[in-house]
Amino acid sequence: MSFKLGTWVLLAMLLLSLEAGAQISPGELAKVHAHLEGMANCTQCHTLGAKVSNEKCLDCHKEIKARLNESRGFHASDKVKSKDCIICHSDHYGRNYDIVHLVKDKFDHNETGYKLEGKHATKDCKDCHKRDFIASNELKKKQETYLGLSDQCLTCHEDVHQKTLAVNCQNCHTLDAFKPASKFDHNRAKFRLKAKHAEVACEKCHTRSLRNGKDFQQFTGLQYNGCVNCHKDPHENKFGQTCAQCHVEESFRSVKSLGQFDHSKTGFKLAGRHQQLACKLCHKVSVTAPVKHERCTDCHKDYHNNQFRREGKSPDCSECHDVSGFNQFSFSIEKHNQSKFKLEGAHLAAPCFECHRKEKEWSFRNIGERCVDCHKDIHQNGINTKYYPSQRCENCHKVAAWNEVQFDHLQTSFVLEGKHSTTSCKDCHFDPQLKEVANQKFNTKTGNCESCHKDIHQGQFKDRRVDYCVRCHGFENWKPEKFDHNSTRFKLDGGHKDVACIKCHKVVTQGSTQFTNYKFKEILCVTCHLR
Amino acid sequence: MKLNNAVIHQIFITFLVLVVAVVVSILLYMGFDYYTIPLEERHFHPLNQSFRASGVVGHGLGIVGTFLIIFGVFSYMARKRLRVFSRIGILKHWLEFHIFLCTLGPFLILFHTTFKFGGIVAVSFWSMVAVFLSGIIGRYIYLQIPRSIEGQELTLLELEDQKIEMNKQLRQSVTLDESIYELTSNLSGAEGKRVRFFGRSKDERMALKRLRMELKQQHIPEIRSREIVQLFKDQLTLKSRIGRLVSMQKLFAYWHVAHLPFALIMLVVMIIHVVVALTFGYKWIF
Repeated sequence: MSFKLGTWVLLAMLLLSLEAGAQISPGELAKVHAHLEGMANCTQCHTLGAKVSNEKCLDCHKEIKARLNESRGFHASDKVKSKDCIICHSDHYGRNYDIVHLVKDKFDHNETGYKLEGKHATKDCKDCHKRDFIASNELKKKQETYLGLSDQCLTCHEDVHQKTLAVNCQNCHTLDAFKPASKFDHNRAKFRLKAKHAEVACEKCHTRSLRNGKDFQQFTGLQYNGCVNCHKDPHENKFGQTCAQCHVEESFRSVKSLGQFDHSKTGFKLAGRHQQLACKLCHKVSVTAPVKHERCTDCHKDYHNNQFRREGKSPDCSECHDVSGFNQFSFSIEKHNQSKFKLEGAHLAAPCFECHRKEKEWSFRNIGERCVDCHKDIHQNGINTKYYPSQRCENCHKVAAWNEVQFDHLQTSFVLEGKHSTTSCKDCHFDPQLKEVANQKFNTKTGNCESCHKDIHQGQFKDRRVDYCVRCHGFENWKPEKFDHNSTRFKLDGGHKDVACIKCHKVVTQGSTQFTNYKFKEILCVTCHLR
Repeated sequence: MKLNNAVIHQIFITFLVLVVAVVVSILLYMGFDYYTIPLEERHFHPLNQSFRASGVVGHGLGIVGTFLIIFGVFSYMARKRLRVFSRIGILKHWLEFHIFLCTLGPFLILFHTTFKFGGIVAVSFWSMVAVFLSGIIGRYIYLQIPRSIEGQELTLLELEDQKIEMNKQLRQSVTLDESIYELTSNLSGAEGKRVRFFGRSKDERMALKRLRMELKQQHIPEIRSREIVQLFKDQLTLKSRIGRLVSMQKLFAYWHVAHLPFALIMLVVMIIHVVVALTFGYKWIF
């Protein structure tokens, strides 16, 4: 009974076990091999009696086989090629088993035949091993692969030279850095860099621009026969295009020879005194260093210390001076007359220094416009200031000459009438005994006739009036036109009317003086007639 | 002399246990790191080459473990069933050796699997586990059936004689109240009471309590008192075994139905596994 029961249980369990054990796989295959799951597929990888053979692996992994045949790549390296595939790439470790299992830190890229040097050694695998850089369409389809890259730089790197240079980048560039192209030797180029050219930044000659929408630096097709291909001609072709006649490559400032140099081709023609100067006097730094020359003061000191500055700006010296010398000047009377102080009369003949160099220094500003600023007032204490207030000389004098005086005598209390009006001033005001004009006094006259005239009547008519002369005399002449004998004590009537004056008024001598006697002590007939 | 044999036997048994413990410990110690990492990472572990199922160590464990089990199973079967071997050694010792081989073997197989239980061979493995566990249960049932020193099952009559003999011994040892002597006769037995497999019934516990009280009242020395209690307990055990005997004999018959087929399944699938492995060229060191 028990045997029967046991037999049935055994059979049932065997059936169950066979059902459960339909697959003899020792474990799930990795994802990439999942399609090989199932009993029918065992021999896809396993060789009966010989475990897993490399041939079976390589039958599928043709890309590896091809590289092994060509002895290229990591799998063809000495370290790897002797190993069976299964040593590194086993399976049946579950779906999530990483069958490739690349340990990036430990992977020796040198084994691949492409040594990672310089900057390459610092890059992440994915920086290079990406789909974009793979040429083969077959390999591109693979979900993940490290194959398909070429050892040509342009496989991964963009050709920034846009096919203008050879494809072998390492002729010029190192693996340490793309910039600078330290393996490049400019002396292998047609244009050898000498002296200062060797120090110039590449971009100065090899300019950058946009080409095909990308930054592009031109290294080929450059014109280099003439300096002006790169350099700007500061002389604007005045000296021709053969710069090397004067300049050397060491420096623009170093000049070969100045013997043949024609300064007139520059913007500053040497003329007058400039021709006699040594170059260094103006070209203090270097003959090639630009020298400002628009204004004289670019080189010369303003001798006049900004005296001519107007609105913050001084006029150029050339407005008055020229290159023939500073002592020469072209400041004309017309120009002077445009100033506040016009030159007229005697001023026209006055030398400049009379007014402008009163001291040691020349002075052109604030030297005064009044006469007394230059001239001495010789009338001080000699003329009452009411006739030239504030020392206004022009009240009497004109610029033509000092001795041309124009004075309105009506301003004084003494009106010039008759002969007085035609008489020279000096007849009254100048004392011939005082030789210096400056000593003349005008304020000493009192209006008294006697201050100028001599009383030939010896005081016979003198009374309390200062101008007692005018009782008889006018200003036209000395005739006693205003005298009426009838207003005297002795009226002339009868025969007296026709008698000559001298008959009665005899000339008498008193000492050394002779005069006509008009005054009698007594007016008696006998005074005249009885003698 | 008899005592010496028992000591030697005990030492031998201890040695066998130690062998299992040491082998398992060594394997665990050496391979713990390897066996505990996730499956996906096993391949990259330094021990993988040797400890994987097809590695030198792993494959070896499988082969040795298999041979231990095969030998353990078939030697014991031969001793039990073939007249030629029936005279060699005591059956109990053969069982113990069978247990040793079929304990160490599965452990080696367990390490051979690298604790990866998949594919057809898993059936073999789990069958092995089932046999192993059923073996432990079987061992318990086996003990419940009183046997002669040769391991032959004793009949009910023989057991009753044994019980009477033991009661006699107890009476000679100490003079107790008659009711206590009768306790063992009255308690449980095969008289339709429920069969107990574990522990003691309430009546048995009460009887033991009464015995102890009685011994105390009579001022029996401690050592002597313990001997009497042990004698009493043996008598109780024998009594309960007699009570369970029929049930146990039935149970043991059923147990064989489970233990043997699992073993067979294990062997059959294992053979398939081995054939497949050999077919694909996995020949261990050969």
